[in-house]
Amino acid sequence: MKKLVLSILGLLFISTSVMAQEVNIFSARHYDSDVQLYKKFTAKTGIKVNIVSGKDKALQKRIKEEGKDCKGDLYITADAGRLGAFQSQGMFQKGASSAGIKKVVPANFRSAYWTGIAKRARVIYYNPKTVNPSWNMTYEDLADPKYKGRVVIRQSNNVYNQSLVASLIKNNGAKNTETWAKGLVSNFARKAKGNDRAQILAVAAGEADWAVANTYYIALMLSGKKGPEQQAAAKKVKPFFPNQDGRGTHMNISGGGILKHAPNKANAIKLLEFLLTPEAQKHIVNNTFEYSMIDGVEPNKLISQFGLGFKQDLKTKVSSYGKLQAKALKIMTEAGWN
Amino acid sequence: MIVPLLVAIPIITIFFSFFDTRSEYLTLLKNTFLLEYISNSFFILVGVLFLTFIFGVTSAYFVSFYNFTGVNFFKWALILSFAVPGYIYAYSLTAFFENYGTAFSILTFLFGDSEYNQYIPKFDGLIGSIFSISFSLFGYVYVLTRASFLYQSHNLIEVGKNLGFSTKRSFFKIILPSARPAIVAGLSLVAMEAVSDFGTVSFFSISTLTTAIYNSWISFDDLSTANQLSFMLLFFILILFIIENYSRKSAKYHQPSRGFKSIPKIELKGKKSALAFTFCSMLFFCSFLFPVFQMSYWTIKFPKYFQDIDLWSLNFNTLLLVFLSSVCLIVFSFLSNYGNRVSKSKLLNYLSAFSISGYAIPGVILAVAFITFISWLSDTFTSAFGFASFKPLFIGSVIGLVLAYFVRFFSLSFNGIRSGYLKINQSIDDSAYLLGYSKFKTFTRIHVPYLKSSVFLVGVLIAIEIIKELPITLILRPFNFETFATKAYSYAAQDLLEAAAFPSLCLIMWASLFILFASRYILSDK
Repeated sequence: MKKLVLSILGLLFISTSVMAQEVNIFSARHYDSDVQLYKKFTAKTGIKVNIVSGKDKALQKRIKEEGKDCKGDLYITADAGRLGAFQSQGMFQKGASSAGIKKVVPANFRSAYWTGIAKRARVIYYNPKTVNPSWNMTYEDLADPKYKGRVVIRQSNNVYNQSLVASLIKNNGAKNTETWAKGLVSNFARKAKGNDRAQILAVAAGEADWAVANTYYIALMLSGKKGPEQQAAAKKVKPFFPNQDGRGTHMNISGGGILKHAPNKANAIKLLEFLLTPEAQKHIVNNTFEYSMIDGVEPNKLISQFGLGFKQDLKTKVSSYGKLQAKALKIMTEAGWN
Repeated sequence: MIVPLLVAIPIITIFFSFFDTRSEYLTLLKNTFLLEYISNSFFILVGVLFLTFIFGVTSAYFVSFYNFTGVNFFKWALILSFAVPGYIYAYSLTAFFENYGTAFSILTFLFGDSEYNQYIPKFDGLIGSIFSISFSLFGYVYVLTRASFLYQSHNLIEVGKNLGFSTKRSFFKIILPSARPAIVAGLSLVAMEAVSDFGTVSFFSISTLTTAIYNSWISFDDLSTANQLSFMLLFFILILFIIENYSRKSAKYHQPSRGFKSIPKIELKGKKSALAFTFCSMLFFCSFLFPVFQMSYWTIKFPKYFQDIDLWSLNFNTLLLVFLSSVCLIVFSFLSNYGNRVSKSKLLNYLSAFSISGYAIPGVILAVAFITFISWLSDTFTSAFGFASFKPLFIGSVIGLVLAYFVRFFSLSFNGIRSGYLKINQSIDDSAYLLGYSKFKTFTRIHVPYLKSSVFLVGVLIAIEIIKELPITLILRPFNFETFATKAYSYAAQDLLEAAAFPSLCLIMWASLFILFASRYILSDK
């Protein structure tokens, strides 16, 4: 009885178990496969991994308010812009650029404060029965009046869209992006709604010819994890990698940064380095269907079948998304992109 | 004194800005989507009020006045809708009606391959939100209206007959108006929950005033905009009830003070019986069976996800929170009600009335307010008195969760116990004193036994709310701590509603169990 009381008291008063070796993660990525990966890390190093997952902004708010008392070591999220914005609020400390990390992650996908752990491409999907993109089609082309009423994309409050538009601002300037956004909105087949997968489904169902969505969604559908109907629907749609004649396809990252008051900084770096080993990268590409952050690990077959040789936009630094997201949102909303 | 002050934390926090930085968010909002957000909130409010009124009042009317096939079943089955939170209803709607969703599978199974998607109606966006919220909330209107019908029914129907009214005329001229206070009470609960909903609308990516408050606070640290928007939200509700109040004019409502005859129900036959049966079974099907079927279908279709779940810890965590929170809430509601009764102080009454507004504030906003407040308080103490920080005690701990639930649900528990207390005549206390009972003895020997059923009911209501609670749990929980609600959310967030099915189903089952336990009290008491 005494034991039970003590253990409940322990649960009440101590928010994390005090272990000699641990690392605490705030994560806006919800994948179960991440948890499995952390278990592998614990098995290897003896360092326990504790997680709180939640909505990105709410987690950031909690971390900020906890201040010096924040037990979190790592903040992991699925958008470079969010990492950048959090960095500019001074919530990270340097350290994500350990020699080990620098060696494997291209400079374009990391900063001194955070590093990418997986890559994602935001591409155009089309219905091969009704349309056929020319090899050099671009994101910019989606605003062409000839696609009137045939394009679907999710809402402007979505952070992947904000990063995409941020990259357009960076490359084409704010003025041109405004015009582009207005053109795109007038091409919408319906009011923006649903998640990325819903856009792919809309093309499969014939509601639109073109959709913008990340690549791993179609792999998720093709994998059968969402049942045979979704699998069959996904086969009716093809992804297309735009801007091959120019800067390349828009890339984003899942990434992590070391929090300012991290009590276990060394362990956090160890975990980041572990996530960037070929073993961990293989686990990631086969579960979330993202692209590997490091050289030498091929994407899952469901992704690699669409081609590996496409040109990625390595010119636009992903660290620039954060600064331009607010501007991007403004341009989108003013264009009537709900 | 302390309890009401504690519960008023979110309101205090919202109205007194700790950091008064204005961003350009309001300007941006005004120039772009403010109108749309307002109209979304407005349509949701009106749509939900309309549907819950129709569902709740009609079913209560059928069940209270008539005998038809299944009436005894529907009487309690309809309250099972409380077990399905709006966001899980939203998952089910999407799962069923989306392109290549369950409806598509069923059609394919029945009629072979074809392009069914264009014929399947899409319940998403605004319509989806309104339906999800309505089906999960109409129970309030049903329960309260039914209770008031039970008190008044017999005499009124007879009055109608004596006046030579048709059934329809009796309903609109006598029964409905006489149940008005109860209906309004039910609708006002619905209204508060509908405008403060975040989970359902954000799943359907519909932006409302609540979204705007959340964004202005969380993304832009712009508390003054958040304040203005919150005022607008409250203003909405206020206007509705002012209109109601005005239209009521000088009508007066009385509850019969003592006994009323048990009501011989009117037997329905043939078409009419079928109509009542169809309405109630459709309502039961849509509000409860549909989400349960959808989630069960997925759990069976995707057994892999079923194995990934640590049932023991989910059950333990959920029940631990339920237990701790209901004990705290009940003890403190008891004490403050008792305090009110003994001291008869006006101040305490006002404070209690003030503190109950925790319910009107969206959970997600309350959670942020809670964190902000604790952090401010701790920093103030640290800098003024050199105290050690007590943030870790309240942010990211079970205690913090319980405290935040306390703030959120105090109104529910306080009023539940209060309504029980009101039934104990003051003269009973006086007699006890005359018999030489101390105040304490009066409390333990007389009040507690009298209030047993109220306490039980309140405990169960709190349990149901906490099992379903999402935003507060999500942001305030400790490391490695999952409940059924957070687990379901986390799968939904990675676009695997299939995997969210099993935790959702468990959540619904737990809540249903509690409802069944309490159904006797929910249905007999008010």
